[in-house]
Amino acid sequence: MGLAQNVVFGLVTGSYIAIAAIGFTLIYGIVNMINFAYGEYLTIGAFTGVLAAGALPLPLAALAAMVGGGVASLLLAWAFFTPINDTGPVPMLLTSIGLGLVLRNAIRIAAGQGARYYDTTTSTFHLRGLPDLSVGSVDLLGNFFVTSRMLVVVGCAVAVFLVLHALLTRTDIGIAMRAMGDDESLARVRGIDTQFVRNAVWVLAGVLAGLAGVLIGIQTNVNVTTGFSHILQILAAAILGGAGSPYGAIAGSYVIGLVVALSTAFLPSSMTGLSSAMAFLVLVVVLLVKPSGIAGTEVREA
Amino acid sequence: MSVADRLPTGSAERAALLGSVLVVVGVAFAASPLTATFPGDLTVFVEIAVLFTVYAILVLGLDLQYGHTGLVNFGHVVFFAVGAYTVAMLASQGSFAGLSLGLPWPLALAASLVTAGVVGAIVGATSLRLRDDFLAIATLAAAEIFHSLTENLEVFGGTTGIFSIPQPLAAAAADYDTTLLVTLLVFGGLTALTYAGLKRLTDAPYGRVLRAIRADELVTRSVGKSVFTYKMQAFVYGAALAGFAGGLFALYNGAVAPTFFTIQVTVTVWIGMLLGGASNHRAVLGGLAVIMGIRLVSRFANDAAPMSSAEFASLRLIVVGMILILVIRYRPAGIWGDAKELGVDS
Amino acid sequence: MANEGHVNRRTFLKVAGGSGLAATAGCIGLGGDSGGTIVLGQPAAQTGQWDFLQPGVSQATDVAIQQINDAGGPLGNELELQRRDTGVDPNEARSVTTQLIENDDAVAILGLFSSEINPLWDFLQEQETPVVTPWPGSNFLDTNGGDHDTPDDLSDDEWVWRTVISDTVHTAGAALRALDQDHDTVGVINGTTEGARSWADGFIEAFEANDGTIAERIEVEQEQSSYQSALDRLFGNDFSAFAVSMPLESATTLLSDWADGEYGRKPILSDPLAQPDLASQVGSALDGAWAASPGQSGPGYDTFESAYQDGGDAEINAWTPPAWDVVNVTALAIERAGEASAEAIEQNLGPVTRGDGTEVSTFEEGQQALEDGDEINYQGAATPVDFTGFGNVVGSVVINEVQGDSFEQVETIPAEDIQEFVPEGEY
Repeated sequence: MGLAQNVVFGLVTGSYIAIAAIGFTLIYGIVNMINFAYGEYLTIGAFTGVLAAGALPLPLAALAAMVGGGVASLLLAWAFFTPINDTGPVPMLLTSIGLGLVLRNAIRIAAGQGARYYDTTTSTFHLRGLPDLSVGSVDLLGNFFVTSRMLVVVGCAVAVFLVLHALLTRTDIGIAMRAMGDDESLARVRGIDTQFVRNAVWVLAGVLAGLAGVLIGIQTNVNVTTGFSHILQILAAAILGGAGSPYGAIAGSYVIGLVVALSTAFLPSSMTGLSSAMAFLVLVVVLLVKPSGIAGTEVREA
Repeated sequence: MSVADRLPTGSAERAALLGSVLVVVGVAFAASPLTATFPGDLTVFVEIAVLFTVYAILVLGLDLQYGHTGLVNFGHVVFFAVGAYTVAMLASQGSFAGLSLGLPWPLALAASLVTAGVVGAIVGATSLRLRDDFLAIATLAAAEIFHSLTENLEVFGGTTGIFSIPQPLAAAAADYDTTLLVTLLVFGGLTALTYAGLKRLTDAPYGRVLRAIRADELVTRSVGKSVFTYKMQAFVYGAALAGFAGGLFALYNGAVAPTFFTIQVTVTVWIGMLLGGASNHRAVLGGLAVIMGIRLVSRFANDAAPMSSAEFASLRLIVVGMILILVIRYRPAGIWGDAKELGVDS
Repeated sequence: MANEGHVNRRTFLKVAGGSGLAATAGCIGLGGDSGGTIVLGQPAAQTGQWDFLQPGVSQATDVAIQQINDAGGPLGNELELQRRDTGVDPNEARSVTTQLIENDDAVAILGLFSSEINPLWDFLQEQETPVVTPWPGSNFLDTNGGDHDTPDDLSDDEWVWRTVISDTVHTAGAALRALDQDHDTVGVINGTTEGARSWADGFIEAFEANDGTIAERIEVEQEQSSYQSALDRLFGNDFSAFAVSMPLESATTLLSDWADGEYGRKPILSDPLAQPDLASQVGSALDGAWAASPGQSGPGYDTFESAYQDGGDAEINAWTPPAWDVVNVTALAIERAGEASAEAIEQNLGPVTRGDGTEVSTFEEGQQALEDGDEINYQGAATPVDFTGFGNVVGSVVINEVQGDSFEQVETIPAEDIQEFVPEGEY
């Protein structure tokens, strides 16, 4: 069992989750709600992408998916979430659960139950000849491989992080987002149009969800539950990282990705089916020990 | 605290009486050689009614936690499952898969209450200090973890589940229709008794403290009440009730499997509670009846609808989701709830 | 809130509730059709994770019913099929079954999955209506179900019959072929659903009982974004072939990952995976992989296939021919019984499929033979359908191998060979 190989896998999984978790956590920090319908935003992105991929080359199709995701997110927020902004996190959470149910089934009616696939080819690159560095039965290094698809995913994730960082530190809207995330009343006092910022966050989260949906769709397939099957991992990553902090979400995502990969590799073989339950276990432990997560964001306790 | 404060209201006493009568009549009927039949067309309604009584105990427990104390428990199905599996593992005799100890069922039923309460205490001790939506996530995660464990570990019977659980009412009654009727009577009676007990609890000053906690914890703490203790108690009672419902379910169905304990149960119970009006015991029962009724009626309506039943199944779920969204937005107090009481009028 | 508001709301609700109930009563109680129609109920998997298999089963059922009605129908009556979705959820399955039997007056239930039958066993026994189903592979039914070889005596009947071969048995076909191909050591990777596990368990049992070695068995969850870690772990072991058993979409992801990782070695696929989509998605790396599909080589297969092709274009899968058999065997049981009741069907399922009667493979042939006073032995599309005492069937297994973008039949393993493999006493 190669540690290096599994670390590579973990980083790839973490990258998918990170792109989505950033959007999720921004919604949490600025709109102040846990959006349980977020998985469906990924699914919408994945479907938009696969439909666009029929007519456009893949990168453009991905762009179309991102645009589609952003627009859908804004429309859904305008219809369902903005009107109840003042009711508090719990009603908004419950609304998002209802919305998720509605969207999943609407997509099922519209798209049917079969899976659709992207048409892609992948090349594999092996790195051989590396020393094994064995510790017991575990090879710290050893041979490993990466595929072109994995590189694309990690590349996209890194690009997203850089763009996001630039956005949050160098643009007005980004700085306004950070201000609102820290203290909404203070931001309003300073003249920031909070509803505008919230709308911007919805669009941004939708764009990220669209991209993540396309990447997951390429890796697996596009069907009704493409996004929904990952919502709990995204949630765990965001909370682990410190709810509301995009940088924390990135860190949290990679932790989750690594935990899932390493637990598959090293758990006793009768328990490998539990590897995604591991993500929840991590979540629960974090909530108990340090609810403020890696980034240490302030958590108003009950 | 004068005696007058401790007197129960009429509604609770009536329910207690009704409940006891139903249970006694049901058991007596089962034990006797009498049989009952009802028109075949109604059988499916009676079956759903039995399921309603079980879920009713769940919703009453959840209402104690959320409606009265403001605890957002989104993993309620885990206590239901724990109770059911406890009865299954203790009482089943020679199951095809999973653990079977063959102990007497009354013992197992009592154990289901206790185990669920203990699990509730563990979850509560660790999570109740978290803020609302984090508590929702923590409880949801607990439910998912348990679901995963039941599917993967041999001792729970894996995806097959545990069979050959004794069914005391079915064994005593003469035929299937009688069993259904008797089960409905006994479970209905137990639900009424649960209602009575909870109503008494929440009408008493104890209930006032819970509602004060729901409204504003800081204030409640400042008048000297140990908020955490009250929250724990409400949480554990709710959990224990859910476990009891699970035990009853296991003794009715004769088998348990992970597919009976999914997030669908939690969602159904939550929608029922919100639709009816949280913190009002009768209202939440009404809400649950409405939501289960919609599912049942819509299945018949499928025959009239001009679409495939696969699409219809999805359409039904869309309706359920929209109900949740609309209730929260336009009628957060529920159909029968009191907006001011819940503090949701704005 | 003023009292008026309360009263209005309550009145509204009473009216709404009352009319809802009235509408329901209208839909159900008095709608019962009679005189000249026999109703059969089919619980279906139109939603849920096995929903991609339902279209084939629905098509097979529908063409069978059409053919039977074209021949005049059982006892001159028209067969009507009532299909209702259960989403493969046992709570739904319970209400749907009750609804089919009590409200739709179905005299037999032609469906239900293992995950619905097993936890509802006691309930199904109480219904005293035959459940003749093409779906369940569960080993629970190896020793439960059927009429215990006493067709006339209903008191020992267990009412559940299946026309699909048990997972315990047909997986022996895969095990046999693997050993035949000199794969003495294999790895196994399977999903955590009941069906996926059941296949893997059956395969491993048969494989080890015949001196094969399992190098490692790994379980993985469905719908993961990547199976690379699990594959990396599996391929750390030494084996020449590996068995894959999981739902189709997850298997596609897993095998695509396997192809990307260039791990090599021979994949052995569980039978639900013998779908062209898998082959075209994974690509050329999958060439030469094979699956052992039960139920594609019964004596009546050609008759079934020609009727089926006219009925639509759903893919044939391992449950499609058994669905055809389910309808035919039930209709023949009604014909032989002379009456369309649940008990009569139960008593005649055994006699129309066992023994030395005239071999028939369509309803029309059977109806003719019975009219002539002969006993019949229905020969099905999936298997010869000679129900055992526990309501099980045995048949030959076809090996389907991936060639390009589709699966091609390359070999047939006869039923006798498989029966040898089943551990003594389990059948």
